[in-house]
Amino acid sequence: MTARIHIGISEYQLAEPPAVLVTYGLGSCLAIALYDPARRLGTMAHTLLPTIRVVAASTRPAKYVDAAIDLMLGELTARGSDRRRLVAKIFGGANMFEPLLGGGSENSVGTRNIRSAREALATVGIPLVAEDVGGNFGRTVEFDLTSGTILVRAVRGREGEMTF
Amino acid sequence: MSIAPLSPGQLDALKEISNIGMGHAATALSQLIGETVYLRVPRVTLTDISRVPELLGGAETVVAGITLQILGAARGNILLIFPRASAQQLLARLLHSQEEELLLSELGASTIKEVGNILASAYLNAMGSLLHLTLIPSVPQLACDMAGAVVDFVLIELSQTGELALMVETEFHGTDPRQETIKGHFFLLPDPASLHLILDAVGEC
Repeated sequence: MTARIHIGISEYQLAEPPAVLVTYGLGSCLAIALYDPARRLGTMAHTLLPTIRVVAASTRPAKYVDAAIDLMLGELTARGSDRRRLVAKIFGGANMFEPLLGGGSENSVGTRNIRSAREALATVGIPLVAEDVGGNFGRTVEFDLTSGTILVRAVRGREGEMTF
Repeated sequence: MSIAPLSPGQLDALKEISNIGMGHAATALSQLIGETVYLRVPRVTLTDISRVPELLGGAETVVAGITLQILGAARGNILLIFPRASAQQLLARLLHSQEEELLLSELGASTIKEVGNILASAYLNAMGSLLHLTLIPSVPQLACDMAGAVVDFVLIELSQTGELALMVETEFHGTDPRQETIKGHFFLLPDPASLHLILDAVGEC
């Protein structure tokens, strides 16, 4: 039987085949997946906020996009992954509601989460090889460590499943 | 400011306020749909933010979620969650329509938002006059999607100050035996600072 490992809000998990990492119902939240294809070792986080504030050092760094990336990268390299082999994929960051006061969605938390992830990945030099972000619908993400592929399920806006 | 554990007295006070608020909201709803609406005893839950989607029936369950911000003396959010079938049932009765997927129509979406508005206003009015606070609901917003996705922006707001969410939940349902039951959940999620304000106001009652 395949082990399905559930990742809750502000959490991250590290796994290898045959496990499948799953996180449900992402709206503005962002799922970040890092994968080492050679060792088939991967990790995924369910983040809420774009950047960690130094003043409020949280007990749960995986709540923040930038801190989660550092944390996951550290875990992978500690397990012997070569960071030059790693690839990243990001999902979510939707804007579920129209902004109340009109205007665009450039500064919604979903959009800021996406921007923060792209910047943080560029800083650590991990290529972002796939993404399915934005829009106004929720996503469920399943990361299959055996193949390294990620299945995204939506029920609104774009129904059905897509693989990344 | 983060949310500290509450005393049994404070929990009771919150339940009572919610009961009164929801009583008014239920009256409004029952007038709308023309049948008695029953309420469960409110439940106050202080929980880790990550568990909220589970408490709403599972992060992936498709729901119609109406959210309103509370503006005025105290701040927070109101969430009104209808299971998909109940939202459809409610709309079918209000609009006298047999069409399917009413929620997806413009009329259906605007009707259910108005229901949210009426319920939230009734709730906040009752609570506000009891506590001598001015509480105003914002324009309602609707999303029909996975419960986790519908509520995560509320959780994002809360997560900036801590890891805990306080939810006051009231379940309500219709009773007409000839028709399918309409069920819904009403959640009050006060901001940590406003929770103290509410509790202080209760203390003075």
